[in-house]
Amino acid sequence: MANQTLELIQGLLWSKGIHVGKLNSGNRTMAAMMGTPDMVPFPGAQMHDHTMTVARVPARKFYWDAEVHISTQMAVQRWYEMDGYTIIADVYNWETEALGAKFIYSDNAMPTPDVSHPLISSPADLARLKPLDASKGRCAFAIELARLTAERAPGLIKDGFFCSPFSMMCNMMGYPAAVHAMRKNPQYARDVYAFMEEGAILPFITAQAKQGGLKSFTGPDAWACFPNLTHAMIREWELPSAERLKAKGKQMGWNIKGGSVAGDYCEEDPAKLDKQLMWASFDTINEFGLLGLKIVLGAMGRTQEWDPHWVKEYADTHGKQPIFLGLNGRFTRDSKPEQIVAKLRQWIDVMGRDGKLAINIANIPADTAPEHVFIAAAACHTLGRYPIAKDLNRIEVKLPAFKPFDEWLKGEPEEQVIRKAREK
Amino acid sequence: MSDALEKLKRAVVEGEDDAAAAAAQQALQEGSKALEIVNAAIVPGIQEAGRLWKENQYFLPDVVMSAEAFHAAMAVVESKLAGEGAKKVGKVLIGTVAGDMHNLGKGIVIAMLQGAGFEVLDLGVDVPAQRFIEKTAEWKPDIVGMGCYMSTTMLEMPQLIAALKQHGLRDKVKVMVGGVTTSQEFADEVGADAWGKDALDAVTKAQALMGR
Repeated sequence: MANQTLELIQGLLWSKGIHVGKLNSGNRTMAAMMGTPDMVPFPGAQMHDHTMTVARVPARKFYWDAEVHISTQMAVQRWYEMDGYTIIADVYNWETEALGAKFIYSDNAMPTPDVSHPLISSPADLARLKPLDASKGRCAFAIELARLTAERAPGLIKDGFFCSPFSMMCNMMGYPAAVHAMRKNPQYARDVYAFMEEGAILPFITAQAKQGGLKSFTGPDAWACFPNLTHAMIREWELPSAERLKAKGKQMGWNIKGGSVAGDYCEEDPAKLDKQLMWASFDTINEFGLLGLKIVLGAMGRTQEWDPHWVKEYADTHGKQPIFLGLNGRFTRDSKPEQIVAKLRQWIDVMGRDGKLAINIANIPADTAPEHVFIAAAACHTLGRYPIAKDLNRIEVKLPAFKPFDEWLKGEPEEQVIRKAREK
Repeated sequence: MSDALEKLKRAVVEGEDDAAAAAAQQALQEGSKALEIVNAAIVPGIQEAGRLWKENQYFLPDVVMSAEAFHAAMAVVESKLAGEGAKKVGKVLIGTVAGDMHNLGKGIVIAMLQGAGFEVLDLGVDVPAQRFIEKTAEWKPDIVGMGCYMSTTMLEMPQLIAALKQHGLRDKVKVMVGGVTTSQEFADEVGADAWGKDALDAVTKAQALMGR
């Protein structure tokens, strides 16, 4: 069933208990968000650095050439047998880079803004900035990547990307200066926000719409997680900004979703995990209406330490919301395969019995052993098979036999692009 | 405690950098010794902010503002401290590894370490291994602290530790790693002596490494 509309309908029917045909990696996650699929899906993760490392593609090509980028991400995600693609590149950098900020480039890592030489250090710097020119920086790469993603990579997110304001502010000023402005000089911070919205984000989106034919846009905002910002600050700054952008988009016929993952509960100290604050984070995320439905989202936090009962209780007491939980990237990297299986066994046991659960890995670190990702996928697909077994401890999860990436790549559609990218 | 010192402590806790600098200046003018100002107001102020952070009453913006107020106050009294014979509990050389520009956590760690009596030399961000090596040999720190933010740049850390060994410096210093992509497992794997989970934890670990 290659037709995406038919796949969508099939996913919906499955979620309501009408099992027409077999679900596939493209519609399993959607079915899980609406109800009960055939198994707990393991959709693609944010994993650009990891895919680059696995495929041994140099950073200077991977982050500049859209064809190399999407080919690498799609091939590695398919190698891992993930349920649908998630093609996210270094989405936080593009506007700041095009506006002229100093960046550090290397052979092995993504471009990163040099916040020791910030683009904006004062109101005078802000006044000097000219609106974004999409012919500058790597905007052309971003636009082409978004176009290719919409065309080739079925998955949850096929939008054009932009950087949401608080994350952009951190890239342009540095986090301490951004927070200082918000707390001590709010008019200055408001001016920065106005410039980011009107002078950076909207011109970038306009270029994506014109050149890439896109109509839907997502703005990740990892810097606006909790406790980087308090929930009150997110409501004071990020939410109104997302609403302004949404309204502007509506006038143009575009769907602009700012503040994606703003409020994500990212408390790092297990001793400080707090049910009330976690729930306040879930509330905040839902106020942004990320996917157009209420959802319990945990992305980048130390989720392995969370009490899954708190998460399930929130979902159940807030309209039976679906749960989309990211297994922590560092946990995935640093744990033994059996620890990964044990964690997923617990999650599925507590949170997955009624359906409405999807699990991915949030931002897989570059050098994570592929075995750790394969075992996570296998655990979701084995332990998470519906109906969920009464005693999950009786179900063994085996590391699937897999070919090394280079061997697997032979004959795949992306082979030539990836091999050529490796040439100096 | 004098009114100026009370005001100074409160300004550090509340993250009022201008007020902290002014109160430190006032305390000096009223005859307080720099060391007394640090020990009675500036350090208790940053420690109180740390306590509030630990108790989920303060969040990152609050701590950053307190760290800024701490630095503003320290800048006023720092030059006078050496003359008063203030003793340091240890020397920490710190920097963000090559290719990595993130310095938020490092800034807070430095404030907390200074608050705990450490002398800190900050090499900045995107620091090549060679510079870490040169400064380690020259400045002779007790602890070398390396930070990173990205999973690609964290791979610089084992190379840097190997370079310390190669130059005969590894046995002369303790190595601490930190940053959002790191973990205790990673610290063990690369042969670091300690992992700083956050700024407060980094101070506790640094004190432990100094045998305090």
